[in-house]
Amino acid sequence: MKKFWCWFFVFWPTLAVLICLISVSSDYRWWFPANPAGSNPYEANQVIAAAGDYDYTAASPLGRQIDDLFYLILLIVTIVFIAVNIALGYVLFKGASESEEGKSLFTHGSHNLEVIWTIVPAGILLFIALYQMDVWAQYRVIENFPDEARKAPVAEVTARQFEWRIRYPAPGTTLQIDPQPGDLYTVNELHVPTGKPVMVYLRSQDVQHAFFLPELRVKQDAVPGLVIPVWFEATKAGEYSFLCAELCGWGHYKMKARLIAEPESKVDEYLRELKLDQDYDGVSKPAAIAAVEE
Amino acid sequence: MSRLNEKIILQTDSIVRDRILAASVEVRVVSFRFQICIVIGLMATVIGCGEPNAKFVTSDRTKGLIKEARRGAKVEVNGEDIKLKGVEDYVVENFGTPHDLVAWLRLPVDFGGQAGTVATQENEGRLKVDIKDGSDTGNATLVWLTGDSAGQTITINGYNAAVGEIALAETAEVAAGTQFVISPGQTLADGRRHYMTHCSHCHGTAGDGAGPTAEYLYPKPRDYRKGIFKFTRTKAPEKITTPDLKRIVKQGIPGTYMPSFMLLADDELHAIVEYVRFLAIRGEYENKLCVELEESYSTAAVKDRTSNDGGESKDDIITELTGFLAEDLPGIADDTGTLLAETWERANSEESLIVPSIARTPDSAESRSRGRALFLSAKAKCANCHGPNGLGNGPQTEDYEKDPVTNQFKPLPGLYDEWGQIVKPRNLTSGIYRGGRRPIDLFSRIHAGIKGAKMPAFGGSVLKDEEIWDIVNYVLNIPHEVQTGKVVAAALPKDDKAAAPKAVPEKAAASTEGAGE
Repeated sequence: MKKFWCWFFVFWPTLAVLICLISVSSDYRWWFPANPAGSNPYEANQVIAAAGDYDYTAASPLGRQIDDLFYLILLIVTIVFIAVNIALGYVLFKGASESEEGKSLFTHGSHNLEVIWTIVPAGILLFIALYQMDVWAQYRVIENFPDEARKAPVAEVTARQFEWRIRYPAPGTTLQIDPQPGDLYTVNELHVPTGKPVMVYLRSQDVQHAFFLPELRVKQDAVPGLVIPVWFEATKAGEYSFLCAELCGWGHYKMKARLIAEPESKVDEYLRELKLDQDYDGVSKPAAIAAVEE
Repeated sequence: MSRLNEKIILQTDSIVRDRILAASVEVRVVSFRFQICIVIGLMATVIGCGEPNAKFVTSDRTKGLIKEARRGAKVEVNGEDIKLKGVEDYVVENFGTPHDLVAWLRLPVDFGGQAGTVATQENEGRLKVDIKDGSDTGNATLVWLTGDSAGQTITINGYNAAVGEIALAETAEVAAGTQFVISPGQTLADGRRHYMTHCSHCHGTAGDGAGPTAEYLYPKPRDYRKGIFKFTRTKAPEKITTPDLKRIVKQGIPGTYMPSFMLLADDELHAIVEYVRFLAIRGEYENKLCVELEESYSTAAVKDRTSNDGGESKDDIITELTGFLAEDLPGIADDTGTLLAETWERANSEESLIVPSIARTPDSAESRSRGRALFLSAKAKCANCHGPNGLGNGPQTEDYEKDPVTNQFKPLPGLYDEWGQIVKPRNLTSGIYRGGRRPIDLFSRIHAGIKGAKMPAFGGSVLKDEEIWDIVNYVLNIPHEVQTGKVVAAALPKDDKAAAPKAVPEKAAASTEGAGE
């Protein structure tokens, strides 16, 4: 019983090591950032992924950098956790093995040790703080957004209880903060071109929402009264989840939309169809037919 | 001494030992009960409440009828008791309850299932059949519609669409040409499931617009039971079409709490829309039967008739009612069903659809100017409600309306809709179009009005189609009318589009303002 706490503190790092060993195996990787695989309609002859099949790379370059940060921090935390617990176990073991006959030894601590265990964690934290800054700046600071994204926002995304309203600029024009004649409107479906960074303006009509593209590792709060630029890049064509990640009311769960990343020509085609539909006057051909004939 | 007092004594006089003892026993008893409550509570949490007992609530109109008119009456004919059906009986008979829906095949609702005829019987376990646009099924039920076993249900092991064969689970002798339905009512049942998941918390189980969340919303969720929907592409007297409903469910209604259900699969959307139409027809059917009985047999009417002025006896009224229930109501109920089937069927036909006689007039300053003139004119009177600037604040919104029944002024000024709610004319400067922003949507709003609301129909008699197009062009441009100091994209230099938008100087604004004024 004397060594209970010693074994207690050795148990956790041992468990951590075991989890580390298990988690790299393909069966148990599901809890790492992952995308359900096989959601790409543009890949010919794709094998339909079985449930539980995951793709472990983020769908955007910045997302991959964010993942790298996540794994780096996970690695640091794991090493520190195991080392600290083993050290604690060792100290307890040593103390518990000592004879109880002699006098207890009291000290005022070790100045050198204290300096070390203050400076080392501070150094690690400082390293993380500096190391992530680049990614953070790319993600959040508008001056660091890729130029082509910043100059031509593709759409305005307005969150509303409980849906996402989308406004595209009229074909051939640039998106303005205020709605312009000819702007195209739709809901719950955002089409963006693949292979290039795109920017959207995020707004909220009522309460706080959060624009969340899990596969692209994008999450940004939408705040009423603010127009918040958000950029991302979908490398692969496909359909991605587009969710609200801020509890916004009783219907929060149904605030789902889809992000469709596709080659630019397809986006143009989609916008053309949207325009035909939006200009439909009940006399000219319905959009679908006209689009087929084109 | 009551328990409450003892507890108070414990707090104020706790040094008295025996009282403390007595009180501590008391406390233990209470805590034991408390434990029981916790255990029961936990068990309830684990077990859950089960399926909610959904029911179609009876409309207020039906509730206003006397008991015999609602639930029917019993009469003795030749020594035999005969049940005469009342309004509620007819509604349940023809539409069922949420747990046991009835598919009234006369109605133009897709209740689901695959109908077909038997071609030949291959052997005891197999049938060659003809099913139009059939799809494979697994185990399913099959109902015979004709032949010796008409009305009977059997189980099948599946239908293979590729070879057009049904594998029977039990041996059966079936003649060629026998008609049947596989999985009857499947769409309706699916619709109910999706409706209860996505719609009922606002629109209510019976489509009465009074679900649990409805209380907190403005505008109120639609009560379908009048069979009236606001945003349709059909002519003024017609019902809503199925594509209209689909569009609304898919696109949502901006400016209200109706969100978009874009991510529903097509078959789910279809099932929901069919179920909504089923509920609307059910409500309208109940309403129409009430209209027949209300005048003479509502609680108020009977009270009136039996009063000193009326001078009739209650028994006489009941006898008269039983006569009506026996002789007239069955026919009326049947005719009402037929009438509703016809009107709802007609809504989906081509002649109900609004098709402008000419294509949209191209948007131009001239057209908008004509539109604005009409907007302000005495002919169209748009400004009466929508205000001269389209802000939705016309003088009519401040008027006191008279109740058409009691001829009394309503307590609050404003425009009332069919459901008794005050509705605001749309603020046309906001750029939010509830019924859709396509030119045809606006054209339909003006042509057929907004059903159930105060927006009247202008199509045909009042305004010509080209005049409506001018108004559409004007209205679509109201949110973009250049105002001094407002940011305008068109005023930006071509090469500087990405730069921050600039405010338009007063002069430029005035010159681009079109022919508005």
